[in-house]
Amino acid sequence: MTEFVWKIGGEAGFGIMGSGLLFGKVFTRTGYYAHIYSEYPSLIKGGHNTTLVRLSEKHVDSPVLTNDLVVALNKFAVEAHMPHMSKSGGIIYDSKDSDIKDLKIPAGVQLYDVPMLELAQKAGGDMLMRNTVAIGASLALLGYPVEHFSDIIKETFGRKGGAIVDINISAAKNGYDYIKSKYDVSKFPFKFTPKPNSERKLVMTGNEAISAGAIQAGVKFFAAYPMTPASSILHYMAAKEFEHNIVVKHCEDEIAAMNMIAGAAFAGVRSMTSTSGGGFCLKVEAIGMAAMSETPVVVVLSQRTGPSTGLPTWTEQADLRFAIHASQGDFLKVVLAPGDMAEAYNVTQKAFNLAEKYQIPVIILSDKYLSESYSSVDRSELKAIPIERGKLITKDMKPLAQMERFKRYEFTDDGVSPRPIPGVIGGEHIASSYEHWENTFSTEHFETRKKMVDKRARKITLLEKELEPPTLHGPKDAELTLVCWGSQKTPVFEAIDKLNAEGLKINALHFVYVHPLPKKGIEMLKAAKKLVIVENNSTAQFGGLLKEHAGVSFVGSILRYDGRQLFPEDVHTHAKNILQGKEKDVAVVDKEPVEFYTARFVR
Amino acid sequence: MMATMADFGTRETPQWCPGCGDFNILTAVRAALAKTGKETHNTVVVSGIGCSGKTPHYIRTYGFESLHGRTLPVATGAKLSNRKLTVLAMGGDGDGYGIGLNHLMHTCRRNMDMTYIVHDNEIYGLTTGQASPTSMKGMKTKSTPHGLIELPIHPLALAITCDATFVARAYTGNIPHLTNIIAEGIQHKGFSLIDVLQVCPSWNRINTPDWFRTRIYDLQKEGHDSSDKTKAYEKALEDINSGYEKVPIGIFYKAQRPTYDDELPQLKDAELVNQDITKVDMSKTLAEFE
Ligand SMILES: Cc1ncc(C[n+]2csc(CCOP(=O)(O)OP(=O)(O)O)c2C)c(N)n1
Ligand SMILES: [Mg+2]
Repeated sequence: MTEFVWKIGGEAGFGIMGSGLLFGKVFTRTGYYAHIYSEYPSLIKGGHNTTLVRLSEKHVDSPVLTNDLVVALNKFAVEAHMPHMSKSGGIIYDSKDSDIKDLKIPAGVQLYDVPMLELAQKAGGDMLMRNTVAIGASLALLGYPVEHFSDIIKETFGRKGGAIVDINISAAKNGYDYIKSKYDVSKFPFKFTPKPNSERKLVMTGNEAISAGAIQAGVKFFAAYPMTPASSILHYMAAKEFEHNIVVKHCEDEIAAMNMIAGAAFAGVRSMTSTSGGGFCLKVEAIGMAAMSETPVVVVLSQRTGPSTGLPTWTEQADLRFAIHASQGDFLKVVLAPGDMAEAYNVTQKAFNLAEKYQIPVIILSDKYLSESYSSVDRSELKAIPIERGKLITKDMKPLAQMERFKRYEFTDDGVSPRPIPGVIGGEHIASSYEHWENTFSTEHFETRKKMVDKRARKITLLEKELEPPTLHGPKDAELTLVCWGSQKTPVFEAIDKLNAEGLKINALHFVYVHPLPKKGIEMLKAAKKLVIVENNSTAQFGGLLKEHAGVSFVGSILRYDGRQLFPEDVHTHAKNILQGKEKDVAVVDKEPVEFYTARFVR
Repeated sequence: MMATMADFGTRETPQWCPGCGDFNILTAVRAALAKTGKETHNTVVVSGIGCSGKTPHYIRTYGFESLHGRTLPVATGAKLSNRKLTVLAMGGDGDGYGIGLNHLMHTCRRNMDMTYIVHDNEIYGLTTGQASPTSMKGMKTKSTPHGLIELPIHPLALAITCDATFVARAYTGNIPHLTNIIAEGIQHKGFSLIDVLQVCPSWNRINTPDWFRTRIYDLQKEGHDSSDKTKAYEKALEDINSGYEKVPIGIFYKAQRPTYDDELPQLKDAELVNQDITKVDMSKTLAEFE
């Protein structure tokens, strides 16, 4: 099987992330899958940025720790990435600006000295075009025709006019030809050939998948305030506002955004907001208002490393409990945590259906890792889920008698009451943050208060049938079951495949519906022999929930809270150790050179 | 058939303190809605939390009793979803000038086409009498037993600065004037801030009916030119600058510019709420990911 990991590293501000996407698309258009993963500190210029592109013949959805070809845009990139090279991998660098004679390059690693700046300048470009040269050079090593890259350049830069396209194409060719003329490319062990007539795959980030899913679901109003790693949802929605007739509002703060979407939902349109932990704090009060007034809202919470400002550009899954318990009082809400791009696209649509059918707040949990990584998907993986709007009333009714109000909070068997929207004759009512009578007027009448709580809670009976059980990955009967949720699906599933291939009897359960817990999921947990919880936080928040609601216990845990998500290798190593009784509770941490993250580059 | 004042009535009796200015605001809003020919089903009244926040409960239209301070964003969401609706927002001085002040400034500059009525009793009523952002310096309240140190906010000057297009003040002691001002605010295309000086018989012993009676005068009777922004600004500060000798009411400032929803081509053909969401075509959008 052909699999290959390319990494480009250098200072921020040199288009590193963009070039990863271009490189990946060369292959996703010609029959391969790609996963593209970026790491960057919270700086605009300077600091070490990396983008990893993993290519494969089968679906790939997570990065790995070992690189096969590194493009080092400065000396530090060589230093930082050479300890993580595969045996016969290569490093492309430019001896004109990186004197690496003092570095001890691991045995077997090939060095390709390419004058990237010079070749870029020869094409009429500058520093920024070194990436293009490097991609050309990389394609030469892989034996891939450079023309596929030229096509992408034409499409991507076409709008900017002919000159920039020509310069980029010739920069790519310069890199390609340089390698061919100076090195014996047949010695580079990784080779790819384009697959003719293959369907182009879609390459999207988690945030793009959520956004496009929302558009597919008919979102009409979107309001937000920028915050990494949720900002790109706002950017995407804003870019699409005319194409799909969506009102997209960058508000004065997250409080406004949340309250605006509640107002919009009350008026009858599908509405959504997105933020990260700090902004979610500000939305909490209005999430409760949506619950009390039974207004359907969808809130995306893309987690970063907390608490407080934390590590703004790194990842974690530590807001699960916060999301589940957000806002005062007892009330029903749904929390969904998709694990990959297709799930993000499809689950977002379901979120709108659940919000409207049950007239409740629905929270979609993502994190920096899922939100900002790219994966390729087959178009058939993205579904159009039929729209269900529940008891929404948009047609005029009989006019109300004078002084009367519509029973918007009518006691019903399923707990869901009819919901006329403003403009509908005969539906006049108040959406209220206060406890209320059926006719929406406020009340402190004890019996009515209790009945209203019960009415709202009763929705769970129907809702329960829609809560999807976790996905079981690996053999049905296993010695050990890894339990994970949300974005950690991809590293865990990949580790399971490898462990199974090694003959180990191990499987995994991945939850998307994390709250309320699906009953079937609880049964599946109980049926497992031994459970290990795998989470991207320090306190095993989901594990605690399962202990409480499923009454299960765990023989071990694999946790990570250093700012990165789990890599498949981490899960592989530690799951094996736990299975063999060598480890029990593990907290994974990477030991990269300190300069990777600190003062050296900070300006 | 046009809706009458009675059509805007509800079965429940208001539960404010005897003598509360909220009764008069309620009367004036119902009258202004009838006067401007609004229909009950096409009108939305959004409120915050406070004594004032209860007002929508007594106006039979669509309504949203939202959160303390969040009146304007909730109203904004509703208006942008269905620009055909007549949207009124109302809340207290604490609600609008304290906890929710940020929203006021931004709603002004957006020129959201709605009418915002602030029940300005210069006190926190519902929470039993603490200083509000418009309480006068030195005022002794439960939260400022030794006298309020800060100077009050000047809401009208602030709204003018933030480019609101209709800035007015009325007084609960003059219902006909209050009704007219609210009706003009409703008819104004753009954002209208109406600051209503309101008596609070329970908690505000300073700004009493007697206090107001000797100080209030009507700008329009003095021939104020409401298109003159500089003059408007001057008048908006007259109360404090005159040592509260003179407290003007009436329309301070009025201007025309496109409203926020006017500038949204997304709404040209149909209001958001009337757009079909069952036939979203994703083919072009998804192809961009290739
Ligand atoms: C977030 C929040 N903080 C505090 C309160 C308590 N609270 C309710 S009304 C109010 C102040 C009311 O004053 P104002 O807005 O002037 O309205 P009034 O009662 O005077 O009409 C406060 C502090 C609340 N409901 N929500
Ligand atoms: Mg007040």
